[in-house]
Amino acid sequence: MSVRVVVRTFSELCITVGTVIVLFVVYVLFWTGVKADRAMDSQIDQLHDQWARGSVAARTDDRSPDAAPPKPAPYRDGKPFAVMYVPRFGFTWNKPVLQGTATGTLKKGLGHYAGTAQLGQKGNFAVAGHRRTYGDPFKDFPELRPGDAVVLTDGATWFTYRIDKKPYRTLPGDIGVIDPVPRKSGYREPGRYLTLTTCEPEWGHSHRLIAWAHLDATQPVEQGKPEALRR
Amino acid sequence: MYGWIWRHLPGNAWVKALLSLLLVLMVVYVLFQYVFPWAEPLLPFNDVTVDGQ
Repeated sequence: MSVRVVVRTFSELCITVGTVIVLFVVYVLFWTGVKADRAMDSQIDQLHDQWARGSVAARTDDRSPDAAPPKPAPYRDGKPFAVMYVPRFGFTWNKPVLQGTATGTLKKGLGHYAGTAQLGQKGNFAVAGHRRTYGDPFKDFPELRPGDAVVLTDGATWFTYRIDKKPYRTLPGDIGVIDPVPRKSGYREPGRYLTLTTCEPEWGHSHRLIAWAHLDATQPVEQGKPEALRR
Repeated sequence: MYGWIWRHLPGNAWVKALLSLLLVLMVVYVLFQYVFPWAEPLLPFNDVTVDGQ
């Protein structure tokens, strides 16, 4: 085998590897987003279908608007059960919330930590989401400020949570941040809290970024969108 | 490598070019459909939870 053939084959291999790497970057930065947007839209459609079918039952009980929201049925693993709106992330920003934080689940939306409180209930409703790749749902996470609204609906009730602190940076092992009364959050007594978690730094995994909110208001969907979502 | 493939494709230059294009598209499809979805979780962007792992 001549030197020429060896050199040529080696260069061709280098070019091939380079091309594959570029394609992989395209896949991670662009294609996962396309796939995730499609998956999230289909999850939200699924929820709206479900709510449209079940809405009659939800409307028959005439509870007073001030009454606490009814306890929801247990969530099914990997299935959507709510839609989240965060005006700070953009007026059109809305993502499905699915049960569980498995890798496959987080590709289709935000993930609710199994074992934490249910939406609007006493305790801590903890949700994780991608900061980068898979549609970049929590890309603007560091922009969250005290007073920002995090609105969720389960089809029957609107829940408006209010952020209480600037995002808090911690280590991946710090599971105390999703405790019923989250550690380091400044909350002293049991309440209805919400915790959001994502990765930090933006493209790394050495830390986590945490945001805490408390339940500010609830209203039945019949009363229309909550104030935080009105323009 | 590429020269070898080119020489072993049948037909004239146009047919060869078309076949090469199809081969490239096939490789890209396999990469996007099977190889990259397998490799992507090895990157750190999936770690968004606090679980101590």
